[in-house]
Amino acid sequence: MKVRIALLALLALLAAWLPIATLGGGRAEGKTITFAVGGASAEFDFWERLVRDFTAETGIGVELLRQPTDTGLRRQGLVVALKSRKSDPDVFLMDVAWLAQFAASRWLAPLDPHFAAGGCGDRKAFFPRIMELADTYEGNLVALPVYVDGGVLYYRSDLLKKYGIGGPPRTLEELLRYAKRVQQGERREKPGFFAFVWQGAQYEGLVCDFLEFAGKDGGFTVREGSVSVDTPANRKALGFMRDLIHRYGVSPPNTYTGMKEEEVRLFFQSGNALFERNWPYAWPLHEAQGSPVRGVTAIAPVPSFAPGSGVSTLGGWHAGISRYSDAKPESVRFLCFLGSYAAQKRLAVGLGWSPGRMDVYDDPEVLARLPHFRKLRTVFVNARPRPILPYYTQLSGILQKHLNAALSGNVPPGKALAAAQKEMQAVVTRYQGK
Amino acid sequence: MGNRPEDPGARQSATPGDHTPGELARGYAFLAPLSAFVAVFVIVPVIGTFADSLMRDVTFLPKRFLGLANYRALLSDPGFWQAMRFTCLFTLVSVPLELFLGLAFALLLARPSPARGLLRACVLVPWALPAAVSGRVFQLVYNYHYGLANYLAGIFGLSDHPVNWLGTPIGAFASLVTADAWKTTPFVAIILLAGLSGIPEDLYLQAQIDRAGFARRFTRVTLPLLSPVIVVALLFRTIDALRVFDLVFVLTGGGPGGSTTSLSLYGYQYFLGGDFGYGSAVSVALFLVAFGLSVLYVRIGRFARELA
Repeated sequence: MKVRIALLALLALLAAWLPIATLGGGRAEGKTITFAVGGASAEFDFWERLVRDFTAETGIGVELLRQPTDTGLRRQGLVVALKSRKSDPDVFLMDVAWLAQFAASRWLAPLDPHFAAGGCGDRKAFFPRIMELADTYEGNLVALPVYVDGGVLYYRSDLLKKYGIGGPPRTLEELLRYAKRVQQGERREKPGFFAFVWQGAQYEGLVCDFLEFAGKDGGFTVREGSVSVDTPANRKALGFMRDLIHRYGVSPPNTYTGMKEEEVRLFFQSGNALFERNWPYAWPLHEAQGSPVRGVTAIAPVPSFAPGSGVSTLGGWHAGISRYSDAKPESVRFLCFLGSYAAQKRLAVGLGWSPGRMDVYDDPEVLARLPHFRKLRTVFVNARPRPILPYYTQLSGILQKHLNAALSGNVPPGKALAAAQKEMQAVVTRYQGK
Repeated sequence: MGNRPEDPGARQSATPGDHTPGELARGYAFLAPLSAFVAVFVIVPVIGTFADSLMRDVTFLPKRFLGLANYRALLSDPGFWQAMRFTCLFTLVSVPLELFLGLAFALLLARPSPARGLLRACVLVPWALPAAVSGRVFQLVYNYHYGLANYLAGIFGLSDHPVNWLGTPIGAFASLVTADAWKTTPFVAIILLAGLSGIPEDLYLQAQIDRAGFARRFTRVTLPLLSPVIVVALLFRTIDALRVFDLVFVLTGGGPGGSTTSLSLYGYQYFLGGDFGYGSAVSVALFLVAFGLSVLYVRIGRFARELA
C-alpha cells in the first residue's frame, strides 16, 4: 500500500513538473535572453532595475541568472555551461583574469561587426588600453569592460599630518619610512596597529599585489614558449614584501594566511592601519556613515621602487556574448545597452562602481557624487593587465603558491621564484606541444 | 555477527539455488533501481573521467588522444606530489584520531543517563553543519587578531604574543586536522553507537559473572563485536578524508606555500583553468588511492569478522 502511495506521489510530481519543463523549452521564441551576474544583493538589485528598463525600452525580456558572489564559483558555473555548449546564459560577466581562456576556447562571439555597423555606439569611448589589451583577442573584440578596477593605495591623511608627513609615498622606500615612523608612534596607544595592510593569502589577489610591488620592470612574461619570472626586479619585490611582515613588522603576521580584500579593508576601516592596498570598491565603504575612517582617508597611485614607475594591476568585469547563444541579435542589443553612456552612468551612481567608459568620468553629476573618480581615471588609464594567456590560471596557481611560501619566511625569494619558473615552464611546454 | 538460527542474516550464506525463479526475478527487480542509480551516477562518471584523463581535453586547444602523457606529466609535477603527500598525511592522522574520539564518545553515550537523548542530539550538531560553515567557524577560532585560540592562549598564559596558527605548514596542518576532527567525530560516534546497541546485553552479564574487568570486557567483548562496524566507519571516514575540499578551501586556501593543497583542490584548479584532461588525471589518481584503501579495509574487515 505504502509503495503504491509513493508511486502515485511520484507520478503526481512528474505530472506537475512536465508543463513547467515544456514551457521553459519554448522560451527562446519569446526573445528572452539570460544574463549571468554576481549574486551580491546590492549588485543583483541594480541589475534587476536596469534590466527592467531595457525590457520596457526594447520589448526584449532578460532573465537574470544569479551567480554566487565568489569569483571562482562564478567562473565554474560559466565554464560548465559553455563547455557543454548550452545556449544559456547568452550574456555574462567575466573577470578580466579569465577573458583570455574564454576567448581562446572560442566561447565568445566577436563584437567588431556590431561596432562597425554603428549600432553599438563608439568603441573609442571605452578605456583604449583596456579595450586593446584585455578585450581584444587575436585581433577580435570579444568583450566590453562593464566595470573596471585597478589597485590603489589608501592612506590616512590625518595620520600623515599628525606625524608631519607632507603627502602620500611616491616610492616603496618612502612608504616604509612613513610606515615605521607612524607605527612606532601609534603603537603607544594602539598595540594592534600595523602600518600597511595588503593581500598576501594564497589566492589570485596575491599575484595582483605582487605585480604592483614589482612595478614596470617586474612581472612575468611568456615569450615564444619561454617563461620569465625569476628576475632581479621580482626578487627584490618579493624580498621587500616578506620583509614588510617579518623584518620591519609593519604588516601583520597573518598577511600571508588570512589577508584577502575584505580582511584588508576591515582592518584598515577599523582605524588600525596607515596604508591599505585595495581595489576602488573599498572607497564608498570607508566613506560610509559610521565608518571610523570616514573623512580622513585618501587615495594615491600604488608606489614602486623607482618614482613614477608604479603600475596598478587591472581588474574588473567584462561582458561578452556566448558563441552558443540562441538569441544573438537580442544579446548584442543588450550588450550595447550595457555599454551605453546612460547605463554606465547608472552603474557609477547606483553602485559606486567604476565604469569602463571614460566619458562618464567627466560627467559633472558623477563627479559631484564621486569626486574620487578623477583620480581613478588616471589609475585606469595606466593600469596593466595580468599576462593575457589562455593558461594564465594554471601559471597564476603555481606563482601564488611560491610567492606565498616566500612570504611565510620559509623559502628565500630567489629559491621560490626559481621553483615557480621551473613549474610554470613545465605547464607552458605541455600546452605548447601540438 | 553470530550465527544464531533466528538471525535473518544467516540466509545470506544460502546459495542462489535455494530460491525459486520468481523469487530471483523479484530480487533483481528490487535491485534494479539502485543498480541503475549507481551505474548512471557512479560508474559512468568514473569511466568518463578515466577516458578524459587520456585526452588533451583543454578548452582552448584542439582535443586529441594523448595516451598516458597526462599521467607522465603528473608524475613529474611537484605540485601534484605536494598535494598527494598532504592528502595522505591528512587522512592518516585525522581518521585514527576521529575513530579514537568517536569510540570514546560512543561508549559514553551508550551508558544509560537521563540526558542521553539530549546529549546525543548535541553531539550531532557539528556533523549537521556544512563543511564550508565549520570552515568559517574555525577561521574565527584561528584568526590572528581576534580569534578564540589566541584569546584562550592569552588567558592561560601560554603565549605573551598572538600566534599565527595557520602560518606554518605544521600549524596549518594541525588546524585542519582539529577542525576536521571536531566536525566528523560525531559521525563516527553515531555509527559506533549503533554498533554498540547491537551487542547483546547478556554477553556483558556473562562477562561480569566471569569477573572480567572493564578493560577485559572492552577488549574481549566490545571491540571484537564492534569491529565490522569500525571497519565501515573507517571506510567512510577514509574516503571522505581523502576527498577533503571545502574545509581546506575555506580555511587555508591551500596555503601557506601550497602545503595544505589537497588532491581535490589541486584537480579543481585545473578544471577551473579549462584543463579537464589533467584535472581528470588528478581525480583518477585520487580514485586509485581511495580504491586501494577500500580494498584493504574490506580485507581487514573480513579478517576481523573471522576473528569475531
